[in-house]
Amino acid sequence: MINYYLKIWLLMAKNSIYAWMSKKETVAIFLFGKMVRYIFYFGFLYFLVSKSNGILGFSANQALFFTATYTLVDTLGQFFFRSVYTFRQFVVTGDFDLVLTRPINALFRSVAGGPDPIDLITIPPIIAVVVYIGSLLNPTLIGVVYYLILVINALMISLSVHIFILGTGIITLTVDQLVIIFRDFSSMGRFPIDIYKEPLKSVLTFVVPVGIMFTIPAKAILGLVSPIGVLSSVVFGIALFILSLKYWQFALKKYTSASS
Amino acid sequence: MDKYISILKIGFQQELAYKLQFIIGRLRNIIQILVFFFLWSSIFQTQDSVFGYTISSIGAYTFLLIIIRSIVMSTKVNDVSGFVSSGELSNYLLKPINFFKYIIIKDIPVKLLNIGFSAVELTLLFIILKPNIYIQSDATQLLFFILSIIIASFIFFCILMLSNSFPFWVPEAGWGAQFLIVAIFVEFLSGAFFPIDVFPTTIQNFLKLTPFPYIVFIPIKTYLGNMTIYNNLQNMAIGLIWCFILFLLLKKIWWKGLKVYEGVGR
Repeated sequence: MINYYLKIWLLMAKNSIYAWMSKKETVAIFLFGKMVRYIFYFGFLYFLVSKSNGILGFSANQALFFTATYTLVDTLGQFFFRSVYTFRQFVVTGDFDLVLTRPINALFRSVAGGPDPIDLITIPPIIAVVVYIGSLLNPTLIGVVYYLILVINALMISLSVHIFILGTGIITLTVDQLVIIFRDFSSMGRFPIDIYKEPLKSVLTFVVPVGIMFTIPAKAILGLVSPIGVLSSVVFGIALFILSLKYWQFALKKYTSASS
Repeated sequence: MDKYISILKIGFQQELAYKLQFIIGRLRNIIQILVFFFLWSSIFQTQDSVFGYTISSIGAYTFLLIIIRSIVMSTKVNDVSGFVSSGELSNYLLKPINFFKYIIIKDIPVKLLNIGFSAVELTLLFIILKPNIYIQSDATQLLFFILSIIIASFIFFCILMLSNSFPFWVPEAGWGAQFLIVAIFVEFLSGAFFPIDVFPTTIQNFLKLTPFPYIVFIPIKTYLGNMTIYNNLQNMAIGLIWCFILFLLLKKIWWKGLKVYEGVGR
């Protein structure tokens, strides 16, 4: 089963790369833009933290690591779940019928149907930056293990949120705006969520789980997360994933195939 | 004149027709402001002054960002690249209206609605966050501030129109050009994401020779009154020179674009 879906995913990825290759100028512009944006993010934070007393006691490297982790999780999410951006068109035109009748899981096709090749190029340097900054923080082996578990958990949460968005897209035809709102809230995780005051901090932990996705993994490398913290984050991620699958099933029953 | 008044009325109706889109646009602004405010508040927890800012001047910077984004950066100009790439521009070129006047008039309802909503947001954020805010009372500085906002609006309009002219040559790259120029260069180098004082002096001096800081950073610095009259005049002069250069460039690029425009898709 896994091999079957891996084969399909690779096929869809290949199609996506071919489609992008036909727009070389656009790829070049976006790639250059994304690289410049990362340089600006890190440059700004570096100058800000190194010339001040740091952010809430976090040193320059620690603050940079929070941003690097945010960038990694955000980019991986964009890479794997990119096809959510085009889902609305499927529902509006009724083309979603064609997805439902194929011998593959409709959710798989809807959420992972076309990775972004630009992110494929940016991911390796981002991983290199995370590894480099992380190594400057002298992490313990258990810290690294926790970090990897929590990054995978963050991707599962990101997947769950995207599934919720798809489900809502079937019911209300609103997808793009919800993705934008999620991405904007996510961007608050560029910095440790400890900088925000209550009740915003609680919203960013439990409602839009930005803290669990970005801050807690970075804190694990710094040795600031206990095993209980890791466990509860993973339990939260699994619970959210199960809930999102239930919501998807509920939403599918509301699909009317109206425009086909 | 009547036709432009009609465009204005239609502009208001269109803006109010897409309420969700408008509200999300405002929500995005608020999120950016919250990140900015809380990041700087956390930095001021351990020190009284950073990069020449105090907690009250950075509070003013935060709230001025909302105002400047509403006045300067709220716009419909980013629709132009779509008009060009889809061939819809032909519809406007055939009508007895000046396209530039049309776009500028369409911008008025967008800006007015955003200014109105930003006033409500400012009040709410002020009540919730209770920030320390520096209030400028010097009439000369306020006059320079208003002038700098007018210059900023013109510079931003020209830059946005230039980036929207890109599809004349590469139709599918319209959104890409906007992303690169507006979402990256303008956002980061104008002072909208962070004050450019954060950079080392050499980079700051270089950036001040580009048009970007005159969109957000210079108007805010003018309001904060950190500069002498001579500095203010110098900034206004550089801003005006950029207005002139960008206007000439836009005129040239736009006409060259129209010459290669084929109205593909219509």
